[in-house]
Amino acid sequence: MPEPTSTLPSGSFVFQDPQGKRWPRLRRVLLGWGVLVALSVVWFFQTLLVRPELKLPASIRTLKGQLTAATQRSALPTSDPNEMNWTKFYEQSPRSQERLARVRAQLRKAGKPKGEIRLGLYVDWDPNSFASLEEHAGSLTHLAPEWFTLLDTDSKLQIETDRRLATFAAARGLTMMPILRNLAENEWQPEAVENLARGPADKRARFINELLGALQRAHAGGLIIDWQQLDPSYRDDYTELVAQIAETLHAADLEVWFMASLGEDFQTFDLEAIGVVTDRFVAVLHDENSESDAPGPIASQSWLGGWLKVIAEKDRNGSWRYGDPAQWIGLLGAYAYDWNTTTKKTETISFKDAMSRASYAGVDRDGKVVKVEAPSYNGEYDYSEPGGGHTVSFLDAISFYNQALAVRIAGLGGLGVSRLGTEDPQIWDVLELRTTPGPVARKALGQLRASETITHVGRGEIVRVDVTRDDGARTVETDPDGLLRATYSDFPTYPILYHEGAGEPHQVAITFDDGPDPKWTPMVLAILRARGVKAAFFLVGRNCENNPGLVLQILREGHEIGNHTFSHGNLAAMSPEMMRLELNATQRLIESITGRSTTLFRPPYNADSNPTDIAELAPLKLAQEELGYTVVLEKVDPQDWARPGADVIVRRVKELRSEGNIVLLHDAGGNRAQTVEALPQIIDYLQIRGDRIVPLSELLQIPRDELMPPVTGSQPLERMVAGTGFRLWHATVEFFWAFMIFATGLVMLRTLLVAWLAQRHHGKTAAFAIRDAPVFAPPLTVIIAAYNEAKVIAKTLRSVLETDYVGEFEVLVVDDGSRDATAEEVAHAAAADGRLCLIRQPNAGKSAALARGLAQARHAMVVFLDADTLFERTTLGAIVQPLANPLVGAVSGNARVGNLRSFLARCQSLEYICGFNLDRRAYTEWNCITVVPGAVSALRKSAIEAAGGFSQETLAEDTDLTLILHRLGYHIAYAPEAIAWTEAPETFSTLARQRFRWAFGTMQCLWKHRDLVFNPRFGALGWFSLPGIWFFQILLVAITPLVDAVLIWSLLFGHAAAIWYYFAAFLVMDIFLALLACRIEGERAVRALIIVPMRFLYRPLLSWVIWKSIIHALKGALVGWGKLERTGAVPSRA
Amino acid sequence: MRGARALLLLTGLALAACDREAGPAAINAQSPDEAEGNQGGGKKGEPIRNPQLAIPARGIYTGAYVDWGDKEDAVTLEGIEGFEELVGKHQAIVASSSYWGEQTFPDDNVRLIWRHGSVPLIFWSPWDRPYQEGRGPDKYSLTSIIAGEHDAYLDMWADHAREFGQPLIVSFANEMNGAWFPWSGVLYGGDKPVPGSTPPRFQGPETFKSAYRHVVDRVRARGARNVQWVLHLMNYSMPQEGWNLAAQYYPGPAYCDWLGFSLYGSQFPSDGEWAPFTPLFDWPYTELALLDPQKPIMVCEWGAAELPHLGSKADWFREAFRVMKDPKYPRLKACVVWHERWQNSEGDDAGKYSNLRVNSTPESLEAYRQGVADPFYLGKPVIEPMADGK
Repeated sequence: MPEPTSTLPSGSFVFQDPQGKRWPRLRRVLLGWGVLVALSVVWFFQTLLVRPELKLPASIRTLKGQLTAATQRSALPTSDPNEMNWTKFYEQSPRSQERLARVRAQLRKAGKPKGEIRLGLYVDWDPNSFASLEEHAGSLTHLAPEWFTLLDTDSKLQIETDRRLATFAAARGLTMMPILRNLAENEWQPEAVENLARGPADKRARFINELLGALQRAHAGGLIIDWQQLDPSYRDDYTELVAQIAETLHAADLEVWFMASLGEDFQTFDLEAIGVVTDRFVAVLHDENSESDAPGPIASQSWLGGWLKVIAEKDRNGSWRYGDPAQWIGLLGAYAYDWNTTTKKTETISFKDAMSRASYAGVDRDGKVVKVEAPSYNGEYDYSEPGGGHTVSFLDAISFYNQALAVRIAGLGGLGVSRLGTEDPQIWDVLELRTTPGPVARKALGQLRASETITHVGRGEIVRVDVTRDDGARTVETDPDGLLRATYSDFPTYPILYHEGAGEPHQVAITFDDGPDPKWTPMVLAILRARGVKAAFFLVGRNCENNPGLVLQILREGHEIGNHTFSHGNLAAMSPEMMRLELNATQRLIESITGRSTTLFRPPYNADSNPTDIAELAPLKLAQEELGYTVVLEKVDPQDWARPGADVIVRRVKELRSEGNIVLLHDAGGNRAQTVEALPQIIDYLQIRGDRIVPLSELLQIPRDELMPPVTGSQPLERMVAGTGFRLWHATVEFFWAFMIFATGLVMLRTLLVAWLAQRHHGKTAAFAIRDAPVFAPPLTVIIAAYNEAKVIAKTLRSVLETDYVGEFEVLVVDDGSRDATAEEVAHAAAADGRLCLIRQPNAGKSAALARGLAQARHAMVVFLDADTLFERTTLGAIVQPLANPLVGAVSGNARVGNLRSFLARCQSLEYICGFNLDRRAYTEWNCITVVPGAVSALRKSAIEAAGGFSQETLAEDTDLTLILHRLGYHIAYAPEAIAWTEAPETFSTLARQRFRWAFGTMQCLWKHRDLVFNPRFGALGWFSLPGIWFFQILLVAITPLVDAVLIWSLLFGHAAAIWYYFAAFLVMDIFLALLACRIEGERAVRALIIVPMRFLYRPLLSWVIWKSIIHALKGALVGWGKLERTGAVPSRA
Repeated sequence: MRGARALLLLTGLALAACDREAGPAAINAQSPDEAEGNQGGGKKGEPIRNPQLAIPARGIYTGAYVDWGDKEDAVTLEGIEGFEELVGKHQAIVASSSYWGEQTFPDDNVRLIWRHGSVPLIFWSPWDRPYQEGRGPDKYSLTSIIAGEHDAYLDMWADHAREFGQPLIVSFANEMNGAWFPWSGVLYGGDKPVPGSTPPRFQGPETFKSAYRHVVDRVRARGARNVQWVLHLMNYSMPQEGWNLAAQYYPGPAYCDWLGFSLYGSQFPSDGEWAPFTPLFDWPYTELALLDPQKPIMVCEWGAAELPHLGSKADWFREAFRVMKDPKYPRLKACVVWHERWQNSEGDDAGKYSNLRVNSTPESLEAYRQGVADPFYLGKPVIEPMADGK
């Protein structure tokens, strides 16, 4: 038994580092590692930012150069075959020339005709159409959208009205004149009109009513009828049908206009009769040569003039054949055709497209010019590209001026623009010209300003971007007859999208976005394998990171891989740096997994292959120019991600196949069962159709190794760092989840074991409690160490002295140099009760005080009690009972929290009940209690002496002593009926201090007695309770912040949602134990629920305490040590 | 006799076909009839040697020519499926043309049709561009064929047909008893007797038969045994004279597997009167039936324009479907409808249309749908191995 001493034995304090070298050394090591890790992380990200050296395949790079102007104009037919077709419908009137001259003269005087109708044709599928409308609504009076389609044998009416457009038009004062057309999917449906005109009257009536209703709902001003390719055999029926429509619409105050195509179709209708019933005719003054014809002028001046004569001149009888010309509107073309003379395919393009193509082909190079001049006054040029030779015919502001002039001279009632969005922007200036433009106006017309409109060249969905803009110039002059002519010497350049990869007509590629996915990608791969089909997978880096095996498998099975960013972020909302990081991270990952780079890239959230906003081009440009990617878009997008049903997916592919040749499907990002179901049907369909499903490399005619070059010697260091970084991160994440599984398993095991043991113990003690009275009542010494306990000591003493204990006992209070009235209080009580004895000593610490008390104890059995802890009357009797067994060296009482005033205290109360006492019940079953708390315990004096007294090597002398007793072979018992009410700290700071002392002390003891762990000699102590403290009370508590961080991350970003399962499992275990403990201790079950808020408030505190202890331990117990030791007012550990 | 043979539905066969195709065609497992078809015998997936279109003991194959454009050869899956959806029935036969002026074999078309689950019928027409009726013989004249000037083309064509390896019905130089195509008998000496022949044979038909036999012999010599030949006349000869009748053009039983004819009701708005179906059908059927006691008969083309001022096309369809299945005509085994609308350019009809589409009006379409819905009209081809000795 050591003598009490006031000085700590130097060097024997666990974790103490007397030389103080450990911390500086450790700090140096930690600092070194920290810097290293930080540098590695920086380096890792640096490698992600370093541009992977992607070599753009040569053929892609040079596409721009492949567009060339034709060296010689192809020999076009000198005579335009359609130019004179109007003559069939024209009878020369003797006075016509005279009249023409007169009108012309008048027009020049009168300026702009009054009340001129300005009609704009509008399409909803081209955003440029709306952009043009927005800008030029003020120049228009009427707007004609394509809203009504008459289709199929049974004359179905398909209505596609657009409220937004109607509202817009109303706001701008435009009259809506939607078009009713018998054109569906680029095919005229003559039967739809013929059968309606010839069919049952009631069907016509229903149709007209339906039409009327739709027009009224859309607040339209009327209807434009555009019917083509009808059989003239039924012309009277058509007249009758138009008359019926007109009658009904007129009654509703709506107008009916009739579109008259020029050419052979002109005679299909009885225009004279129709003119009587309708309000206006719209003469289609373009398509002299259309898509299906050979290249030629779209609307030559002479052709247009001829047809105007047919319309506007009086016949021999002096009357107009087709009504007053003022009833007519001349619809002028404002677009271009690009005829591929090799494939015989024709593209309708905009004026700007035509300009861009001419500019890139260098049509204006080396002093060459393109002239818009007599006789046709249409623009025309040739160029070629690898896909064939092209002839482009375009209409511009110059042709528009000339044609508008002719229309006005002919006395027509208005002009139309066909269509909004494809026009030369300067037609709007021309439209307002009142006189022949002078030099200033002509100069203005000559300036071709490049806007931000995106233009297109080529076919296919693999695109290259060039955002260069360059103004152009044309020289505008006046011909003697008042017409304008222009010479294009410098074509303007608009932002351009080069399309490639159209391939052969029967080549098609299938692509998958967003994978790989552990569930769906293998299913997709199995289907492709079985069918021998090669596809392209645009991978999301995050998913590659999780499924590197699948990435390899995709590549191994002959498919192509492309970059789809790391996190599937929206590029439009991303800074260039972020985008670079997204692409490079994925690239590095793919390189480290596969040993190959990829030059293929597809932006996420790409709606279709026609970006319309210049802002959409920026990320593509970055990917392509700065990072070297080939951008792969798609046209056949059945929207499988929205899960419309497998049959719908297949049907959409069928419908869209003619639009393009790259199919987009998804193999990740949700339940892809429908995609997997549709895929074989899609492959079947394509193959039956005669398509060859080819990889992108074949579509582009670029070798696979060029699209996905093997990683070469360049940048080996960057690649290694990036690869290692990804692997480390991957391993860390994997380890985290493995640990979560492991920990959850252990927690559940422990919970069940504790529950079972505690329940068993409860059964036994309950039986014990029934006994009438304690049998064993040896003489006792009760020892209380007190330091500044004046406020509570009297009460404590009273609780001890007023006991039912039948045996003899003495109470020794050791006053450890209190600076308050503790000694006086005790002395006062001692005067009244002889069993009480006061011992005073200079402040020396609690261990010393207890040792001093023990030295004075007269009896063999000693009960320890904290100065602020109250006994019940039965406590003394209960606590000594186990000592009846000579093998028992120490007995733990049941400490409970007495001050339940605050939340914090209630938390601690629950913790005492379930955390400490339930554990103790369980541990006592297997004799593996780790601590007999100083607050309430009974010990055999001989056992303490055998243990060497109270050690001062640790802050938790009670734990230390308990473990030493275990070593000595004593049994440690628990007396649950020996209840002592202790006072819990009520503020966070005092609680934190208390818990820090406990935690540090416990760690000291664990360290000091580390040889007990997994030591077979100590049975359950070595295998159950001590490892349990290491794992559950130190390690798990220490990593709580990490788990919480993942939880918050998961809440914020939706990733790692699996964490919630583990979290829930832990919480359920906690609640379960709390409920059990409350039941055993006779507490109300609701009290157990406080465990839930505790998890969020109490646990972080514990975690902080643990970390503080760890750091202090590492530091070697330097600062603030003695001070903590001497704040003996804090209740000792339960 | 035929019932004892292993009958396989084409769809069941498609798997076997896949093995030989460049790309795996896959009509597999999509036909509800497939299982039923396989009960006939042969194992699924086992290729049939020298497959041919079986002659059904009962029923008539239904097929169609869908408007395949100016050269009648722009076959698309969309076109076939669209037509089938329109009429509500799968097509056992899909027809298209192969013009000699193209100097090609329609590889893509026959494969597409076969993969779709139909048997291709090819109108193999020996004429040159521009393909306009009434121009008279050109460089692919019957005499040049007989002279062997196009043997290289014939061999190439035959080789491709053999490589295709699936049933293929070929109508070479159709409607030769008419007067519009450059291979018409009337353009090759017509009724001039062949010197020294008794009873007299006529130069026109004899020239045709020589050319026909030359072509068939040549193709067979290249081993294209999957080709079945249909002798394809106009239902009424023009002129309808003895020397110009079917019997005169019959090259012999060894040279044709089917006997066929074209049948058109009224086609032009300027036609004076409506042509009812039965007389258009009964005469040529009887005429052809007399040529050979066994050979199946096919209506290689049939249709009528929508001409409401003359008569009801719907009624005409109803009559057609009723008459064709009449037991009086037990040897009729296939009928291929001509589904096209065109604009006329000549005479009173200039600018007006001839609408031979089955859906020219809702009534006509309904009549066609109802008629062809009769299970007697077979939508799925049945494939069997070729009989021995052929």
